[in-house]
Amino acid sequence: MKYVFLGSFAVLAALSVVAGLWHPRQTDDRIELVWCTDDNPVRRGQIALFNELYPRYRLRIDPQNSGMQKVIVQSLAGVGPDLFDCYTGSQLVAYVRSGIAMDCTEALAERGIDIDAVWPCLKPLFVYEGRAYGHPDNANAYDIWYNKVLFDEAGEPYPSGDWTWDEFIEVAQRLTVRDERGRPVQFGFIGYWDYNAALAQWGADYYTPEGTRCVLDSPEAVAAIQFMQDLIYRYEVMPTPTEEMAMSSAGGWGTGVLGLFGAEKGAMALGGRWWLCLLRDEDYAHMRLGAVPLPHGPSRRQFGGGRATLVNATGQHIEGALTFMEYLHSKEWSQLVNRQADALGPVMKYHYGEYEDAFLHNPEHPEEDCNAEWRTALEDSVPLQVSSYVNGQTVERIMLVQLDLVKANLKPAAEAMRDAAEKINKAIVETLRIDPVLRDEYERAVAAGARPAWDDEEGAP
Amino acid sequence: MTRQTRRTVVALCFLLPNFLGFLTFTVGPVVFSLAASFTNWNLMKTVPLRCVWFDNYVKLITEPEFWLYFINTAYLMLGMPIAIAGSLFLAVLISQRLRGMVVYRTLFYLPSFTAGVALLILWKALYNPTFGPINLLLEWVFDGVGLVQLEPPDWLASTKNVLALAVERVEIVSRQFGLGARDALIIMGIWTAIGGGNMLLYLAGISNIPRDLYEAAEIDGAGHWAKFRHVTWPQLAPTTFFIVIMSFIGGLQGGFEQARVMTQGGPAGTTTTLAYYIYTKAFEEFQIGYASSVAWILFTLIFAVTLVNWRFGSRYVSY
Amino acid sequence: MSAIREQGGGFGKWWFRRGRFGASHALLVCVAITTLMPFSWMVLTSFKPLNEVQRLNPLPSQWHAENYTDVLNSKDISFKRYYFNSVFVAGWVTLLVCLTSSMAGYAFARIRWPGRDHVFKLYLATMMIPGVVTMIPNYTLMVKLHLLDSYVGLIVPAAFTAFGTFLLRQFMLTIPPSLDEAALIDGASHWQVYWDVILPLARPGLIVLAIFTFMGNYSAFFWPLVLIKSEHLRTLPIGMMYFDTVYGKQTNLIMAASVMNIVPLIVLFIVMQKHLVRGIQLGAVKG
Repeated sequence: MKYVFLGSFAVLAALSVVAGLWHPRQTDDRIELVWCTDDNPVRRGQIALFNELYPRYRLRIDPQNSGMQKVIVQSLAGVGPDLFDCYTGSQLVAYVRSGIAMDCTEALAERGIDIDAVWPCLKPLFVYEGRAYGHPDNANAYDIWYNKVLFDEAGEPYPSGDWTWDEFIEVAQRLTVRDERGRPVQFGFIGYWDYNAALAQWGADYYTPEGTRCVLDSPEAVAAIQFMQDLIYRYEVMPTPTEEMAMSSAGGWGTGVLGLFGAEKGAMALGGRWWLCLLRDEDYAHMRLGAVPLPHGPSRRQFGGGRATLVNATGQHIEGALTFMEYLHSKEWSQLVNRQADALGPVMKYHYGEYEDAFLHNPEHPEEDCNAEWRTALEDSVPLQVSSYVNGQTVERIMLVQLDLVKANLKPAAEAMRDAAEKINKAIVETLRIDPVLRDEYERAVAAGARPAWDDEEGAP
Repeated sequence: MTRQTRRTVVALCFLLPNFLGFLTFTVGPVVFSLAASFTNWNLMKTVPLRCVWFDNYVKLITEPEFWLYFINTAYLMLGMPIAIAGSLFLAVLISQRLRGMVVYRTLFYLPSFTAGVALLILWKALYNPTFGPINLLLEWVFDGVGLVQLEPPDWLASTKNVLALAVERVEIVSRQFGLGARDALIIMGIWTAIGGGNMLLYLAGISNIPRDLYEAAEIDGAGHWAKFRHVTWPQLAPTTFFIVIMSFIGGLQGGFEQARVMTQGGPAGTTTTLAYYIYTKAFEEFQIGYASSVAWILFTLIFAVTLVNWRFGSRYVSY
Repeated sequence: MSAIREQGGGFGKWWFRRGRFGASHALLVCVAITTLMPFSWMVLTSFKPLNEVQRLNPLPSQWHAENYTDVLNSKDISFKRYYFNSVFVAGWVTLLVCLTSSMAGYAFARIRWPGRDHVFKLYLATMMIPGVVTMIPNYTLMVKLHLLDSYVGLIVPAAFTAFGTFLLRQFMLTIPPSLDEAALIDGASHWQVYWDVILPLARPGLIVLAIFTFMGNYSAFFWPLVLIKSEHLRTLPIGMMYFDTVYGKQTNLIMAASVMNIVPLIVLFIVMQKHLVRGIQLGAVKG
């Protein structure tokens, strides 16, 4: 027995040496920057260009998809990345408040980076209370993708873009095909069930302007969500959750709705320009694509967002991280993003004037003739509203449960939104109860006339 | 130094490596988490760490979420009796000194030995409502017997369940009746556990039953069932007791991997168990104080089961 | 026997006409098939081209073994590394657990000292502590010790188990005390008794513990999930999860990865199963 022990020990010790040596090697003396982002072919191109333009550095990505908790905790432990991504305004709030995001307002100004030069809907992703913590990577807004092949087969004229949702539904119904068992063969309309898009178009707000109270129970919000439910169950042009789950798995790159659209199971889809990253693949060479603006909702607003990269205050190479900000602000970056179709470049001016031609016409992809539509969509876009008084993750969890119910037709929209608003307001009260700093701020806002999250004194924190 | 003291010192030296680790990674954390559960600890810098006494606990028992997730956890334990009965049944069958016993034992034990993320991913694919082999097979069978209008279950996409529990409140709603995500997890659980450690324990238990008890029963004219009823079952009582206790303990803290890999706790939170809830609260919403209090409630429940084990188990199980 | 035959009605007659074990065999075969179905689907799917995954036909029209090489050579996922990491981490944990547990077991089973049974009760009490209770403090501890994202952080917290101590104590109690008493009287030290007498005799118990520990840590999900950040430190279960995210649509590749994930476990089990079953019979529960 003891020989087994000693033998295993020897083997493991040898393996430890292997493990130590089997390590991504440092081959030169360039400074290594670590960027925590998702890994995909587009990202690799973006890294390659940085490494080429800034030979002092070597950018490496740390791909992970488990959200922000790791970034925060690892940064607090001193093993965080130099740069990390931020997808929503509420994530920014959490990063700022946990002390991970570095205030680089002055540093950016010194480098000649004008934070007002980016698309307005990107601001909440990296600017909080007037201070900048990073720079956006790309900007994304929604259009309606349509598959010309399926339209041709059905003898349906292509949409012009100047249309209402009623007209849209008629077209979608004509393009929905089911077999004799009632199983869907093709849907008129598919899309991530993106409630934010609908809420914006129906003119609904998440919160009161000061963020003090969730108002998702407003008639606008209810109407928007009800409309989404109707698309599935009343007009029957969208897949039910079951049908959708059957088609998609974990989500992310190349799966889900996008894969379905690529498989020509949907004639129209709500999506962004970044879909091209996948749809350009030779697997989809048979597709002919068009994009038109969303039908006119009650409001002309539409939801826009994107991704920003923030500088880690606990990172090892602040200087390098700021250099990366310069890169994100550069013409090279915006044009690379536009060429790659990873949505649109973050800086507005590289889409107009002398740069317009390069944006509109990609010589490698002459068939893509709808680039102007994406720009128009972004011009109308507003960001997702954020409240500093409640954790974004909590809000998302609450919304997800309620919307799952609406989507499965287990609950009418009005009821679901009322419950969601009530729960989110309760979460706000909860935050105030534990956070005295926020509470002071909140009380000042309420004293100045903002509507509190509670209706009577009993509900107050 | 007396012999007694020397012996003690030697014993402690032997114990020390394990005991130090045990203190650092088990006892310490338990105490720490109890302390944390009385604080408002989250990771935001603006929140000063403060003792809030029982606030977390009060909040927890007054919040419907906790109870719903508790019910989810309990619901997923419904498969337990079936799995245990199945293990016993298989053990009885196998133990008849059949030819090929080793082969059966190996086959049945496979799922529990290989359980993990790979099998969860496998089952996720099996349960795919449209393209998964289970539903393809069901549809093929329905078509074959002419029940074309029958729809196979939506499995992981559905909030339905055999108890017809409503989604957001504790009540029974008839339209919730059916097979849904939780039932899918239960079926998977039974498949995994039925031939696992419990079956081996039963096999061991059966092989320890003195042969002469059966011979005596046969002389009394006992049939198969009578022998099982009067010899096997009572003789296996300690094993059964042990298995039930361990299953309870496992069930109460279970459901994390399934939720993380297969369902993200959905649809509509129906597969969120207490363990997964703690994870999301702590690692996604950073409410570490609150999450610790949920963990402690869970611990208290498990400890209660352990106490039952100690109080009554000593009759059966000798340590 | 005759008594049984007298009671038998229609079903009973059939049962016994078929021979005593015919029906049992039939039942067992049914269960075995049910058990194996998901596995066989997994293996068959892993050899299918993508466009055949969603069809009911069980066999692939062409056997695509390159699914496996695709997984192993994937640029996005360094599957080989995950394999190595899982085996490496589980190996270290197993060695350490066997060592520390057998030493502690020795202290509890073979030496008499004051307070022994109370300390053992404490061990027993904590055996039931759910992992979720200790995970937050342990994580915090790893943060403080700067062990996040490291092999050490994966290995050390798993290396001390109350269960192992309990199991090996049970085993050592079954070893006749005369053996080590004789050795001690001959002037052997406790360490020699432990190392030369008890350890060899506790072999069945050690093997069981080793198998369970290895298996548990090879498949461990939660701790690596929260602890590991770097790609090159991911273990198989975590790698599988990322794989599922990245290749979500390519069920055939995922199944190939799953097969490769569980094959080492199956081999381990088949090789070790005699020990495993005997070990459970010897020590875990005494009826």
